[in-house]
Amino acid sequence: MIAVVLCLAVMGALQLLTPFWWWIMIVPFVFGAAGAGSGRKAFWTGFIAAGLLWLGAGLFFMLSGSRIIAGRMAGMFGLGSGWLMVPVTALVAALAGAIAGYAGHAARGLFKRSR
Amino acid sequence: MKTVRAVVSLLLAGLIFWALDNRHGTFPALGRLLDPFSGFWRNGEGVDRIPEKLVVPGLREEVRIVWDDRRVPHIFAANDRDLYLAQGWVAASLRLWQMEFQALYTAGRISEVVGPIGLRQDIFNRRFGLVWGAENAQRAMRQDTETREAIEAFTAGVNAYIRSLGRKRLPVEYKIFDYRPEPWTELKCALLLKAMSYTLASGNRDAAMTAARDALGEETVDRLFPFFPPLVEPVIPPGTVFEREGSAPPAGGGGAAGTDGTAGRRREMAASRGLAPSIPPADGCPEPPALFSSGFLPGPGVGSNNWAVSGKRTRSGFPILCNDMHLELALPAIWYEVQLAAPGVNVRGVAFPSAPTVIAGYNQDVAWGFTNAGSDVLDWYAVTFKDDARDEYLYGGEWRKTTVREETIKVRGGRPVVDRVIHTHHGPIVRWPDEPPFPGMSVPAGAALRWLAHDASNEFATLYALNRARNYEDYAEALASWDCPAQNIVFADGEGTIAISHNGKFPLRRKGQGRYILDGSDPSDDWPGWVPHEHVPAVKDPERGFVGSANQLYAGPGYPYYLGWDYAPFERGARINEILASMSDITPEDMVRMQADVVDIRARAVLPRLLSLIEGRPMSGTETACYESLRAWDFEALAGSAAPAVFSELWSALNRLTWDDEKKGDMGRMPWPASEILVDLVLNDPGSEFFDDRTTPERETLADIAEGAFRAAAAGLEKAHGPLGPAWHWGQVKGTRLGHLGRIPGFGREGLETDGAGHVVNAIDRAWAPSWRMVVELGPEVRAWGNYPGGQSGHPGSRRYDDFVDDWAAGRAYELVFLKSADEPHPAVAARTVMRGKR
Repeated sequence: MIAVVLCLAVMGALQLLTPFWWWIMIVPFVFGAAGAGSGRKAFWTGFIAAGLLWLGAGLFFMLSGSRIIAGRMAGMFGLGSGWLMVPVTALVAALAGAIAGYAGHAARGLFKRSR
Repeated sequence: MKTVRAVVSLLLAGLIFWALDNRHGTFPALGRLLDPFSGFWRNGEGVDRIPEKLVVPGLREEVRIVWDDRRVPHIFAANDRDLYLAQGWVAASLRLWQMEFQALYTAGRISEVVGPIGLRQDIFNRRFGLVWGAENAQRAMRQDTETREAIEAFTAGVNAYIRSLGRKRLPVEYKIFDYRPEPWTELKCALLLKAMSYTLASGNRDAAMTAARDALGEETVDRLFPFFPPLVEPVIPPGTVFEREGSAPPAGGGGAAGTDGTAGRRREMAASRGLAPSIPPADGCPEPPALFSSGFLPGPGVGSNNWAVSGKRTRSGFPILCNDMHLELALPAIWYEVQLAAPGVNVRGVAFPSAPTVIAGYNQDVAWGFTNAGSDVLDWYAVTFKDDARDEYLYGGEWRKTTVREETIKVRGGRPVVDRVIHTHHGPIVRWPDEPPFPGMSVPAGAALRWLAHDASNEFATLYALNRARNYEDYAEALASWDCPAQNIVFADGEGTIAISHNGKFPLRRKGQGRYILDGSDPSDDWPGWVPHEHVPAVKDPERGFVGSANQLYAGPGYPYYLGWDYAPFERGARINEILASMSDITPEDMVRMQADVVDIRARAVLPRLLSLIEGRPMSGTETACYESLRAWDFEALAGSAAPAVFSELWSALNRLTWDDEKKGDMGRMPWPASEILVDLVLNDPGSEFFDDRTTPERETLADIAEGAFRAAAAGLEKAHGPLGPAWHWGQVKGTRLGHLGRIPGFGREGLETDGAGHVVNAIDRAWAPSWRMVVELGPEVRAWGNYPGGQSGHPGSRRYDDFVDDWAAGRAYELVFLKSADEPHPAVAARTVMRGKR
């Protein structure tokens, strides 16, 4: 739980300060490599933290003036409603964060054994 | 095992990273695009917030912008430079992506954005000489102090805006196509003029007409495509006296009287030298459709209306000027509205986002507007090369050297392509015999292009002066520097003058010269000079009390120069004249209604005759229903009526059955004559040989063709739309749509059901339509109304992206806010911005 909150806060801050999307992979990766007790924990921490961050941010913008553009993007992707862009956004982040977290943990495993 | 798992998961994570961080074909980089912190989510209505204060580097004094409730900026500056710098900033803030995309498209650089699928279009635009022409125009713009300053300042304003943008605030199309804006340049302003010229002054049927002449003979072509067609009412009213003094055409050139059978003479000359150039036949296959739109594509829908009525006919006693310019529908819209004020100028109207000044509009004293002139300023010359090296060509009995312009086209995700464009003194060779057709234009293979838009000219000087014009003399003087694209420029002023000029730079021609592919080796086929500007067809304050144009023939046989042959058919021009001649006590509201007039005078002319010919014939249920709907029709092209759809099909079928069998030899498609030719035959010559179907032994007449066309129309509609019902309604059958410039699905407006048709005054067709409607009443208090299909903002996430569309489709116009000063209190003022050069 603390790990999720910590990851989420760090990712959110870095995303606000820089224009890069990939903090949602880097931060879980680092967490997985440095602090996660297990691959499963690394996976789910990345999944929940990245997913929640983009879900929350997507919802925030959806409710604060981005409904028109979300509707147009949904049209571009062939989806029926702009609201669907929120779960799509969250899911992409969650999967990217999860895989990155798991890969971080696995990478640490490699490193440990080689030492 | 652990190692394998680790390696696999690392590879998977890397793959996902790569997949989300890169474009794949046309599929966007999903990670960057969906990122709520800097992706598309940031392109919401936040863009509609108006800042109270802005720092715009480069401004010398304070600039004040008043925004009205339709998001129109009213820019008040202390000097010209600040004015155009602020205009550049504002235009970019509303329309940056559109500006750059149109410039890249015109410059033949679209492959840099979309990859190899743009290559064919890029090669075409380079070969066609759009960049070459823009470079020449830029030099001309820089030679004039005023236009140089305007273009420089505008460019600085756009660049100041671009520099202020971080990734998060980039327009969403940049995020979707995944690229960044580059600095704006003066060349891009010049490219806009070339895009306009391409839309409005590149139309030509030289290849098809040459093939038709070779197959059918010149006499038949002259009958079907006459220089003075029936029913057409020229722009310059009959009875106008033309100045003839000094108009003697040069030896061998000019003059409507020069009916010297030029084509035959030319072929003889070439044959006598044993060097007849092989004039290529027109391509039998249609050109592939264009992939993207620049918003500036030439097409059958290019047309426009303008007129001005004198104070004698208006309720106020002052002139009223009206203009609606028909262009390809697109979002973001091609125009935006703006008011520009500085010492010496206060002008209101519409502008193109990519250039300074107001293009069509009004000020306190005058109003002006445009329709396309359509006179011939583009010729193809068949070229005889010495050998395959193509470095020498025949001209005047000698071999001349070609020159080469190397064009390097960068291709996203591929190697750059270098194209060697070969130029003769006429101009570039656009397509070689071994190349496939280009999108959108039938280009004769191996022919050199002579096009006026390649020549240096400075149309911004005209616009700069019109923005500041006070009276007729200022207007007349301003027009002298407008070369291309030639326009019917209508004018009215507060002193009561109305005028129209078929204005541009026109080559001196023998009658008919340039209708067919010319002989590039014969010096007498070159353009020997120009129609003097004081002799262009023009009229001021005609007796009838109105002037107007709808892209039709410029003048009747009394005019001493030949300018071209391929003009708009008779309907819109004749209808405008008919309405205006019948009106008095005219109000601006009458004029707004007139711009939405949907009476189809083609149908009104022919339908009674056609229906009488099929009356009493045995009919199926659908045919009977079609017949009844046509019989009950009042000739209004309304969205909710089936009759316009039936007539549209009937007219197509009538053309098909009348003309397609005339084709002979290897001429490809039979070019259809203008509508007035068929209308004239239907009314006056029902036994014409053209109605005979040459594929049957019997001799058919109009009665047979009309019946066949009627049955074909009913069957075609039934097949496409089922039994006669709401699906047959004109609005649905026509299906007006505003496509996005970059062809992004979901970013346009589909399926608008609109009144109107291409050949009625309210010329809303499927993809072509009035792009700006304006009505201006001159007088002590100028009042104006207008609307366009779109919205002020080019941001698809903005509330202002397409908010005018429904009112526009319904023919409603807004009263335009025109402020005398930045401080003027006005109920429509929504916000104010103060711009300063430094904090």
